[in-house]
Amino acid sequence: MDTKWNSMDKDPSEALEQFVADQVREAAESVDSGVHVISVDNGSEGARRVRAVIAFLAFVLGVSLVLGSLGAAAGRLLAQRDGTEWWKDDWQETEAFREEVSSYLREFLTLGAGGTLSWYDTEVVQEYGYDATLWSAVSYEDFAVSGTSVPASEIPLDDPDHQYENDKNVLYRIINFDTLTKYSNAGDASLAVYHELPEGYNFLLTFQDGKVSIVKDDTALDVYGGGIYDEDSPWFVPGYDNFPAGEGVENVSVYMAVREMPVRYYTGDYQNGGYYQSSRMYYITQSIQEARAFYFRQTALLGAGLLCLALWFVLRREKKLADRRIASWTVHVWTEVRFLAVAAALVCLLLPSAGAPLDEVWWEIRYAGLYSDMLPYIGRALLAHLENTGPLLALVWVLWLIRNDHRHNPKAKRRSLWRMVSVHLPKYTFQKRANRRNRAAVLLACVLPAAGLLLTVSMNISPVHWLFYVLVVIPAAAAVLIWLALRKNAALARDIGLLSDQVEAIRSGDLSTPLDLPEDADLRQTAEALNDIQAGLHRALEEQTHSERMKVELVSNVSHDLKTPLTSILSYAELLRQEELTGAAADYARIIDEKAQRLKSMVQDVFDISKAAASQLPVQLERLDLAKLLRQTLADMDDPIRASQLAFKLDLPETPVMIVADGRRLYRVFQNLIQNALQYALEGSRVYLTLRTGAGKAEASVRNTSRDELPEGVDFTARFVRGDTSRTDGGSGLGLSIASSFTEACGGEFRAETVADLFTAIVTFPLAE
Amino acid sequence: MNECILVVDDDPEIVGAIAITLEREGYRVLRAYNGMEALDLCLDPAVRLILIDVMMPRLDGLSALIRIREKRNLPIIVLSAKSEDTDKILGLSMGADDYITKPYNPQELAARVRSQLRRYTSLGDIHAACRGHLIVNGRLTYDPDSLLLRADGEPVRLTPTETKIVDLLMRNPGRIFPAEEIYRRVWSEDAYSCENTVMVHIRRIREKIELNPKEPDYIKVVWGIGYKMEQHG
Repeated sequence: MDTKWNSMDKDPSEALEQFVADQVREAAESVDSGVHVISVDNGSEGARRVRAVIAFLAFVLGVSLVLGSLGAAAGRLLAQRDGTEWWKDDWQETEAFREEVSSYLREFLTLGAGGTLSWYDTEVVQEYGYDATLWSAVSYEDFAVSGTSVPASEIPLDDPDHQYENDKNVLYRIINFDTLTKYSNAGDASLAVYHELPEGYNFLLTFQDGKVSIVKDDTALDVYGGGIYDEDSPWFVPGYDNFPAGEGVENVSVYMAVREMPVRYYTGDYQNGGYYQSSRMYYITQSIQEARAFYFRQTALLGAGLLCLALWFVLRREKKLADRRIASWTVHVWTEVRFLAVAAALVCLLLPSAGAPLDEVWWEIRYAGLYSDMLPYIGRALLAHLENTGPLLALVWVLWLIRNDHRHNPKAKRRSLWRMVSVHLPKYTFQKRANRRNRAAVLLACVLPAAGLLLTVSMNISPVHWLFYVLVVIPAAAAVLIWLALRKNAALARDIGLLSDQVEAIRSGDLSTPLDLPEDADLRQTAEALNDIQAGLHRALEEQTHSERMKVELVSNVSHDLKTPLTSILSYAELLRQEELTGAAADYARIIDEKAQRLKSMVQDVFDISKAAASQLPVQLERLDLAKLLRQTLADMDDPIRASQLAFKLDLPETPVMIVADGRRLYRVFQNLIQNALQYALEGSRVYLTLRTGAGKAEASVRNTSRDELPEGVDFTARFVRGDTSRTDGGSGLGLSIASSFTEACGGEFRAETVADLFTAIVTFPLAE
Repeated sequence: MNECILVVDDDPEIVGAIAITLEREGYRVLRAYNGMEALDLCLDPAVRLILIDVMMPRLDGLSALIRIREKRNLPIIVLSAKSEDTDKILGLSMGADDYITKPYNPQELAARVRSQLRRYTSLGDIHAACRGHLIVNGRLTYDPDSLLLRADGEPVRLTPTETKIVDLLMRNPGRIFPAEEIYRRVWSEDAYSCENTVMVHIRRIREKIELNPKEPDYIKVVWGIGYKMEQHG
């Protein structure tokens, strides 16, 4: 229950959080756009651009500086390349100094022992073994500034410490009480007491009786600690319980003073073909200074970067203009180029140094492969690559450009070489198939020249062979290819011709003969599809014809079935009327007779109209005079016209208007139209019957004013439609429908128009020549 | 005269109604309700005319008609609900003398029966005797010398103008005359807007000679062209 509560409680709160976040973001965006608008109102376009450029530059500079400085510093730190304990105030407290001191001591002890010592512990000998080869030397205080050259002949061969005699940073006095040998470069200074050290020296190491004691800055240091040497021991000098001084130095005393601020000097040994850098102490301080300068520089750069970022943060909305502008440039860059740029930046970043020669890369790879235990080294090395700030920044900015492009440009607008090429790749099945068949030819066309080229280059063939190749093989192959292509094209052209002929045939109504292409034709499948379409069309048409016939048959049967009882009704109604009926009964009989008569005409009308709708109305087309037909119809209907209250206004040409139609059907059309006018025209109004010719057409119209208001938007040619919907008048509602379908059966056009209460029926026929 | 008429229809009410109509005209009526019965009854020598429906059980009207024709020579009127031209042509070509579509007008039916009987009984010899002299067209006979028109042997009373029109049409059966030509030849003057005039006269003639003036058998309008006298066998 509890957990349920929790989960139920949690989801809404998360949703709420999400909602709030969305709201805030939306609000920010709307504010953003608001600011955008205001800035358009306030500043000119130019000012906005300047601000955008400033914001963008600040962003770029800021990110570059911050990343560059942090990267360089982190690379140097993380790679642990920097052994310099640059953070220590006193260089004499660094590990490097202590090692240097112990190194000096070892060498002095060697001197003191006469160079043949075996005083050191066997366990450390392998690690710290050295050869006390001594050098004849020339010394310079600072090789660039001054120096003394000592002729080689004057160098005493029995002067083993000549290397150290000129040491400007270390003073020493080595005394062997057994042999009474003594080496020193300290001159008068005894170096026995700290207070008597010459000016500028603040460190005194004394080796006496197998033990080392150190005084630094007038303070004695605890050299041995617990007396047992281990890795954490600060001084690697003999005198520990497990690291005794050993034989030969029992009676050797070494006094060694180190300068507080070491200087640079140089000892040359030109006769032996070289020189010896011996200002080792100086380089310790030098590297500390260098490291400090480096980190100071990076800090300054970081500060500057942060300042730039702050400026960008203030102007960050302005930067969008620049982003969009840049996106509008980068959109043209192919996707492939982007990938290449990222890859190039990555490669440069991971190479030992930007632009390193390839063989260095090769060595790196070989070492990495050969020594699997170098993996930690590789990891460190990778981190060290952060120092390659150039490639690092390049990678960052390439990625930023891509992201900026993706943010501002829709996917569809991006370009790629592949997309440009793929547009031309075949998309359709037929195309693909055709291409597949061409593949061998294409391959051959590629292989032949390539083979020729290879042959020429690799085998260094004779000009005769080459000529043979050029003049015989290539033309022969080309001829074969062309012949293949032509043969294929001819077959394809034939198939396309057959196919288009078939399409044309189907359009003009041939639904029975299918197209049969050879099995292997490219268009075989298409032809089969076309055949299916043809067959389907044929079937549909047959079904439609069949159902139309069924419909007409049905209506025909129904009307026949209606006629039989109607015959009885009419017969007996007639008989009834002949009876001497009294009063109302006579009226009833009359009504029955009238309605039965109307039913009879309706049945006939329905029958006719269904036949006409199914295009099964038999028509006998002949040339006839439409004007005459109209006059005849009017004459035929003279009686009802006279009986009506309507005035017929005729506008019929005297000259014959010849058309091709079925006269009996057309008589029915106009009879119905006039009947319609007689039935529905306003009493006392005029009916206009006009016949006009023009543009190869004869147009007869019957126009009358309706007695009742005409409803709008009614298709009067539809069946059972009348001006009023009550159906109480005498019409069947089929008059106009019959007129319409009969006109069309005769090849004319029928339309009914209403404007307010004006009803117009128009019959149009093409004129016969 | 009490001529006997065989009425064949599967609908007893229709047979009854026709019988009443014909009996009122003074005929004797035999009734049959299918083709087989008709075949039996038609052998009665008293039967002078047969009215037969087409769609009937057991034996349909047209088949019965063919078999009756094998046995007897007498007028047969087909009575059918099928009103298509093709149905009429089929019926007439099978040997029917007339074709009446249902629902029929009882008076027209009686008139057609009367007409057929006259031609069968009293005009048979005239046919043969006067072929060279008279113009015979179906029910109509016209004597060009005396300008006398007879329908079913009865003289038709025509006005001089009507006589001229009848003379023109009877002499040229099947030919189509435009109203203008009729007017010019009958009235002997050029015609303008003569359609109504001609039509009025034609309608009057029809009323005198046609059995059903609304659906004339003889003087027909050829719509959009003119008028003609239909040629009958």
